[in-house]
Amino acid sequence: MTVQEDYQPVFIGKVLEELQTVLGRYPNKQAALLPALWIAQREHGWISDRIMAEVAEVLGVTPAYVKGVVTFYTMYHQHPVGKNFVQVCTTSPCNICGAEAVLKALLAQTGAGDAGATSPDGKWTIVEVECLGACGFATPILVNDDFVENVTPDKVADLVRKYR
Amino acid sequence: MGYPHKSHPKETVVLSQYFGDADARTFKGWTKRGGYEALAQALKMDPVAVTDVVKESGLRGRGGAGFPTGLKWSFMPKEKKKAHYLCVNADESEPGTFKDREIMRWTPHALLEGTAIAAHAIRAEVAYIYIRGEFTEPWTIMERALAEANAAGVFGTIKIHLHRGAGAYICGEETALMNSIEGKRGNPRIKPPFPAAAGLFGLPTTINNVETLAAVPHIIKRGAAWYKGLCLSNPKSTGTKLFSVCGHVQRPGNYEVTMGFPLKDLLYDMCGGPPTGRTLKACIPGGSSVPILTREETEQTLLDYEGCVAAGSMLGSGGVIVFDDSADMVYQIMRLARFYAHESCAQCTQCREGTAWTTKIMERILAGQGKPKDLDLLLDLSENMTGKTICVLSDSCAAPIVSGIKKFRGEFEAYLAGKKQPVMVG
Amino acid sequence: MADGLINLTIDGATVSVPPGTLVIEAAKQAGVLVPHYCYHPGLPVAGVCRMCLVEIEKAPKLQIACATTVTEGMVVKTQAPAAKDARQSVLEFLLINHPLDCPICDQAGECELQDFVFQEGQSATRFGEFAKRFNPVEDFGPDVLYVPNRCILCTRCVRFMEDVAKEPVLNVSERGDRAFIGIHPEARLDHPWAGNVVDLCPVGSLLSKDFLHKARAWELDKTASICTGCSQGCNITLDTRDEVVVRVRPRPNLDVNRYFICDHGRMHYRWMNRGDRIEAPLVRKDGALHATDWDEAFARVLAILRGASGKAVALVSAGASSEALAAAKRLLSGFTWTGAFQVVMGEEATLAGVPNLALRAERAPNAKGAEQLGYTRDYAPALAAAKTAAVVLVLDDPDCAVETDGALIYLGTVLGENAACRRAEVILPTANVAEEEGTFTNRDGREQRYFQAKSAPGMAQPAAWVLGELARAMGLAEVA
Repeated sequence: MTVQEDYQPVFIGKVLEELQTVLGRYPNKQAALLPALWIAQREHGWISDRIMAEVAEVLGVTPAYVKGVVTFYTMYHQHPVGKNFVQVCTTSPCNICGAEAVLKALLAQTGAGDAGATSPDGKWTIVEVECLGACGFATPILVNDDFVENVTPDKVADLVRKYR
Repeated sequence: MGYPHKSHPKETVVLSQYFGDADARTFKGWTKRGGYEALAQALKMDPVAVTDVVKESGLRGRGGAGFPTGLKWSFMPKEKKKAHYLCVNADESEPGTFKDREIMRWTPHALLEGTAIAAHAIRAEVAYIYIRGEFTEPWTIMERALAEANAAGVFGTIKIHLHRGAGAYICGEETALMNSIEGKRGNPRIKPPFPAAAGLFGLPTTINNVETLAAVPHIIKRGAAWYKGLCLSNPKSTGTKLFSVCGHVQRPGNYEVTMGFPLKDLLYDMCGGPPTGRTLKACIPGGSSVPILTREETEQTLLDYEGCVAAGSMLGSGGVIVFDDSADMVYQIMRLARFYAHESCAQCTQCREGTAWTTKIMERILAGQGKPKDLDLLLDLSENMTGKTICVLSDSCAAPIVSGIKKFRGEFEAYLAGKKQPVMVG
Repeated sequence: MADGLINLTIDGATVSVPPGTLVIEAAKQAGVLVPHYCYHPGLPVAGVCRMCLVEIEKAPKLQIACATTVTEGMVVKTQAPAAKDARQSVLEFLLINHPLDCPICDQAGECELQDFVFQEGQSATRFGEFAKRFNPVEDFGPDVLYVPNRCILCTRCVRFMEDVAKEPVLNVSERGDRAFIGIHPEARLDHPWAGNVVDLCPVGSLLSKDFLHKARAWELDKTASICTGCSQGCNITLDTRDEVVVRVRPRPNLDVNRYFICDHGRMHYRWMNRGDRIEAPLVRKDGALHATDWDEAFARVLAILRGASGKAVALVSAGASSEALAAAKRLLSGFTWTGAFQVVMGEEATLAGVPNLALRAERAPNAKGAEQLGYTRDYAPALAAAKTAAVVLVLDDPDCAVETDGALIYLGTVLGENAACRRAEVILPTANVAEEEGTFTNRDGREQRYFQAKSAPGMAQPAAWVLGELARAMGLAEVA
């Protein structure tokens, strides 16, 4: 699937300095792969094949190796996502507290429609995720890096308004 | 963000003393409350002496395995020939568990202090705290706390680094965690070699859970005898444990009780029991990977390692998931199977294929298309998935299936007999 | 353990092996093959397929034989009911997403999944009408196709590229039952030794495009041979069907090529099937070449040799057998003799993870053998000397541009229309490496034997026989 991509090298200037600092924490370059991918995703929005190749070069590993790692970890986006990337936990402890209703409400009220799809206005991608480690505060969701607890269907409207 | 409840009178407040107290998060606030005194004390002790204290206390791993912590530390090489590592497992992803998150959010310095003491005990120069990627708030809080503590120079020559995960439950398995830090796919490793012999970067390593390490400063400060004395039932289970209660209870949250505490009291007294008008139907006491208990079994369970085994389950991570009579056990067990299928790393044949196949059969049953032999098939697959793989994710998928069919067979059979409305699309 | 060996019992048989031996290897000594997929003696241990689970006394759980080292007094039971059940369940799990492709799959007949399912699998599946996971076929590079649906994720290919070829271009992508072997779009599987992943793949997931749908495994005759692609001397198997070489595969030799061959050698077999062969002895009569029988051809050669004296030059191929080279020298021992060869050179390509293994720059199998027999690499002087030699013998070098005032005798498999050697007095048809038995000496001085895989066409005979017979007729038989 070819996606329109505006690719600019990520690891230059200040970002490269940031990576150097990270590299100082590990005895070899390969160990900085996960942190490097986080930095790249922050800068580029998602991890494309070209980004994988750049990270590979900077760390001295092969692009195929990076791809194997990227596809293992669910939080690295392998395609562009909406401005608000929302993760909704629906594993059993939250499931019995109405998580699926929260998911449905979010999909409907953001216009995203299907889980994983991006809304037509490009502002929302909602995905179902596994246990977020806040089961006592059901239903927890992540909106980008904001961890929001105790979400119920009636709170969704305000949430959507706040982040839109 | 959500605040924890005020401590219930029946709780034994040790780790949770400053939950909800924002000032305790700061370095100044923590030291004002007596923080980092234990570390200073420990750094003056011989590493072996520190290990002996922890051994004597009876502290056991709070991540789920319950392995004696002091004993684990003593597996590190006696002669220091190579670099040693400590890994802190903050990957908390076991469904039902949310205690490590609380410790990091409210008492980050407790974790840092415990980490440094442990690093000293095992003579590790470097410690990595592996925080799951989704814990954005704990990450920020830990970052800040670490910066403050480093500025104050409390760790001596020990270097503590934070490492962020990226969405993989399996990285909570200690060898997968090491692979993840090394920049690899989070695949568990075959053992031997064991981490204490060849772990992170091939060097001697110990991996400890957040809650385990948070208890260490208390043990050093107040003594092993004090910790050992915190025991209500079996002397092999000492100290306190944070139980993360969630699901169908009126007051979910983390509750700290002494080992051996009755589960019944925790659920009814402290958590208020299920919502009004409903009755407790099932409970998983230790995170989704341990067998499900019926109400009768739940009400007889003592919360320590041996007590949970006696009741037919395990203490595990202490993530207590409560189901009342409104819960569809078949659906929830399907959802758990789907969880394991999603998280399987794909190395072992039984896990890779078995978790997915199990999920498919469960979905078929819920779609009203279950076959008469499906329950026997699920049980047979579960047996084939148990005790035969590199790690226990495969066994963990089997646990709710086997205990679910055994104890809630009627609900399964209702779907098979067409007596229940299908809840899934076939 | 008096002699330092560990004694253990496997399926009732006692074996003694060095400390550190894996149970799966010790079992081989007991004549027991523990079924397995991901394990391979040439690759680092993975322990992922779980097929080799065996019962070990005193161990609480089944253990994988590929990652368990032997201990003194260990008792291993590969046929214990628990172990058999475990294997049967692994096979069942492997088959649920595996397509029923046997009728169209190249691997059929040499497939380890077929083999073990037949040996101890179930005859029917319990998977039912669930859809199997599907991924389209992928072209990985020059010769390798990847059929993800058939893949059992043993990861042998990934480990080969990472640890033996030291070029990690293959990965495992995704997780759980969505996993497959992946490659990054910016890289292809074009490493000079990449073809080995096709051999390593236990099933028909990684396929050779060259061999695709060419022949069925059970139609093939397999003959031990030595690769003629370079001077490394890799041990190979020639697979033939109906007198045609259709595939080359490595034969294990721990001292030479371990379990591998390079792609150059792997593809270096089509020439063995050339149709434009010299099929009969040719002698010059009245200015033109006429086909004849061996008797007349021999008679002509002997007449030439007996009627000549002085200088003789032998211009030979470094791909001729040592026997032929020795006989050629013997045959010309009545002359002042110069023997020379030239070797096509190419780029070396090492297999980084194996010491002393590479596609060698010298692209011929027997240069060392020729040298040891007294042939020289100083080709140009020999070529010049041939001009005034009484006899010039050219052995299997169709491009040899020799000019001589003396008698030219050519032995070879092919000879182009405009080849210089068409001016020869006598042209004798010889067998190629697939059609004879012989010896090559590799660059390390190792003498290795190769065997006949197919018949030589027409009246062609091994060069060693032709030259040997001639030498005998000259009274120059080999000294016993």
